Amino acid sequence: MYESTWMFCLKRILTLPFVLLGVSILTFVFIRFVPVEPAEVILRLARVAPTEEAIQALREELGTDKSFLLQYLLWGKGVLQLDFGTSFVSKLPVAHELLAKLPATIELAIAAFVLILGLSIPFGVISALYKHAIIDKIIRFFTILSVSIPTFWLGFLLLYLFSLKLGFFPTNGKGTLSHLVLPAFTLALPTIGLFVQFIRSTILEELQQQYVQYAQLRGLKRSVILMRHVLRNAAIPLTSLLGMTLGNLLGGAVIVEQVFSWPGLGRYLIESIMNRDYPVVQCYVLIIAVIYVLANLCTDILHRLLDPHLMMKGRRD
Amino acid sequence: MRLTKYLLPLLLVLTFSLLAGCTSTDEEKGKTATPQTNGKMITIGWPLDVGPLNPHTYLPNQMTAQAMVYESLVEYNDDGTVTPKLAESWDISEDKTSYTFHLRKDVKYSDGTAFNADNVIRNFDAVLANRDMHSWMGMVNHMKEVVKVDDFTIRLQLDEPYYPVLNELAFVRPFRFLGDNGFPEGDTTQDSIKEPIGTGPWVLTEYKKDEYALFSRNENYWGEKPLVEQIKVKIIPDSESISLAFENEELDLIYGRGIISLDNYTYLKDSGKYKTATSEPLSTKALLFNTQSGPLAELKVRQAIQYAINKEQMVDSITHGTEKVANTLFWDAIPYANIDLAPILYNPEKAQQLLDEAGWTLQNGEKIRSKNGQPLSLDLIYIASDAIQKPMAELMQGELAKIGVQLNLEGADVMVGLQKLMDDQVDINFWRTNGPPTDPHSFANESATPNASGVYEAKLGLPNAKEIDTKIHQLLVGTDEEERVQLYTDILTMFHDQALFYPISYETNNVIYQPYLKDFAPRASEYDIPYAQMATEK
Repeated sequence: MYESTWMFCLKRILTLPFVLLGVSILTFVFIRFVPVEPAEVILRLARVAPTEEAIQALREELGTDKSFLLQYLLWGKGVLQLDFGTSFVSKLPVAHELLAKLPATIELAIAAFVLILGLSIPFGVISALYKHAIIDKIIRFFTILSVSIPTFWLGFLLLYLFSLKLGFFPTNGKGTLSHLVLPAFTLALPTIGLFVQFIRSTILEELQQQYVQYAQLRGLKRSVILMRHVLRNAAIPLTSLLGMTLGNLLGGAVIVEQVFSWPGLGRYLIESIMNRDYPVVQCYVLIIAVIYVLANLCTDILHRLLDPHLMMKGRRD
Repeated sequence: MRLTKYLLPLLLVLTFSLLAGCTSTDEEKGKTATPQTNGKMITIGWPLDVGPLNPHTYLPNQMTAQAMVYESLVEYNDDGTVTPKLAESWDISEDKTSYTFHLRKDVKYSDGTAFNADNVIRNFDAVLANRDMHSWMGMVNHMKEVVKVDDFTIRLQLDEPYYPVLNELAFVRPFRFLGDNGFPEGDTTQDSIKEPIGTGPWVLTEYKKDEYALFSRNENYWGEKPLVEQIKVKIIPDSESISLAFENEELDLIYGRGIISLDNYTYLKDSGKYKTATSEPLSTKALLFNTQSGPLAELKVRQAIQYAINKEQMVDSITHGTEKVANTLFWDAIPYANIDLAPILYNPEKAQQLLDEAGWTLQNGEKIRSKNGQPLSLDLIYIASDAIQKPMAELMQGELAKIGVQLNLEGADVMVGLQKLMDDQVDINFWRTNGPPTDPHSFANESATPNASGVYEAKLGLPNAKEIDTKIHQLLVGTDEEERVQLYTDILTMFHDQALFYPISYETNNVIYQPYLKDFAPRASEYDIPYAQMATEK
């Protein structure tokens, strides 16, 4: 690794605390814009009449009776000591709750990621190589369809078809590989559509380049040209897209987990927002922010490794 | 860079192996095998995790699960009567301030430990250490002490008479009993419990948070033992997914109000493949009118709205017959509510006449009535996510437009509407009763004191608001049964005559179950699912 790349990483990592500070303040403010306070929500959801005494007692217990600034400072102080507070609803440490649910979401995201890479590259390449042929038209039709269908609807469609009608997979739950297939596929499909279109257009662009014609004149096999040159060059812009994909996956996981009863972070977030469980939402947003920043950093590093121009620039710097 | 050449394949291999790792670890746990229903187990779908099964606290504990494991001293029945449960009998003192309960002697906790007076006192003490949280329950505010008389007798002492004690003791929480071995350090059950040990017919034997809870028959159970060995509660947060799981025979039954959408319920019912059942009413859906200011401060306007809406048609078309038309705020089985009240039936001509009498008239060419230049425009808030309230609100908007009333609709979050009504910012809100066993006294209590139910504020504009409050206080602490009947009759009649509420429908538990399940009667309860009666022929 080159020094410039290390410096680049270091600079980026040094910005992380500022990003987290901004994100945490925004989350703190926005979540309190939601009408009706946690104490009342918790009592109402518990099906008891929220008397003044009960609301006051609960406010004191939750700490929501303190001023906004004091709440933020206390929370911030806790976070610096790696104490993310206690869930308003379960009364358990938030970090413990989220960490318990993180593996399920990661499992789902990784499975979706595998599907995205495993399916979009071959389909994108085929679509580009057989431009305007029937196979290309079929692939393009499905990519447009997959990008257009809302995730929740796609989930139910797959459930109806593969679980109810064909009986291939269970409709809900987690545990075996067969439980994972439908949710992962639902999560991956919109991104697969996006990637296939992207790979197709990038390869078509690359194929127009002079170096390809030169290689053909040198008598190199088409497959060699494709694997060694075209795909490698096409991979550079693809890495940028990979970083954004993570965001899509985390966002999509919220809906997919709900539809397939997948016990991950996304489902927990929905529940926590409903319950006005401030500490959980705040901690969740922090985790997502860290993941985002690190994923973008990894993408940029990969980008630098793949693109010699950037490396040269780094060395000159 | 040679590295990049192998980067993509490497990444693929890595992710596949990671994925394999993830799934195999889960399989090793071996707890989430593909669902199997056999003759010994019944599987039900539920949208929320059952929670820590703490008998003395509320969220995130699910009432339906708490009721499986824990029992109360007395039981409330669908016909409004109260019968013995863990207490085989009780005596009430002359002045109605002291209740002596004689406990059953044949009761053991699921771990084999004894149920006795000491344990009952311990439970009461743990609950009362958190009085504020339970202040919604009138009894808690009147409880002075709970003392042991002998090993199987306890006495509950109140500071003044409070007649609904038995009803409130029957409720699913907080007065249910935890075994001694379930108590945490310092008996602070308000924070957590060590283990869910109860006297009820079921014991939690396997649990995976947010995935499922498996309850097994309590072989130590003192009462009638359940017919099946196990109940599996699968956690499926989405109502559509619950429907699909049921169709896929991963669930044996769907039980409860609002667990699946009415469209899905109707679809499953109409398929002819399944059995269905509906319970007696468990709560009332109504509109609550804000009399603090605006046109609804006038009785004739409130009455006109009620005459203008074709309730029968609305309830039937929107709820597909799963709810029953309500003409009074409480149905007959609710204690003290079986009184003769004249229903307000659909009569648009009468509605127009009432509005004319009140001075809200249609000017030439206008579609909306007005009075002193003010148009007759009202705001109604419904819960945006409620599949029934929204179409009902839209239908009412159309009906009221016919008589020259403009109804502006706003969908809001669950708790926003009532808050706005209390702050006098909105005219009409959807509202529902608590249901048994706490009605009608909890309704009365909430109506007479400012709290988040909205009724106290909504009725501030009534000419006899003060009189209603006085009567409510009398009935809660009065000791004479005849007088109480009279007071309830007066109060409910006043509310009815003043058209403060517009009763719409009685909500029920809707049950749909697989044909191999034997028939059973659903309970008119928010929390008591009759698992013990269920049996499967599969």
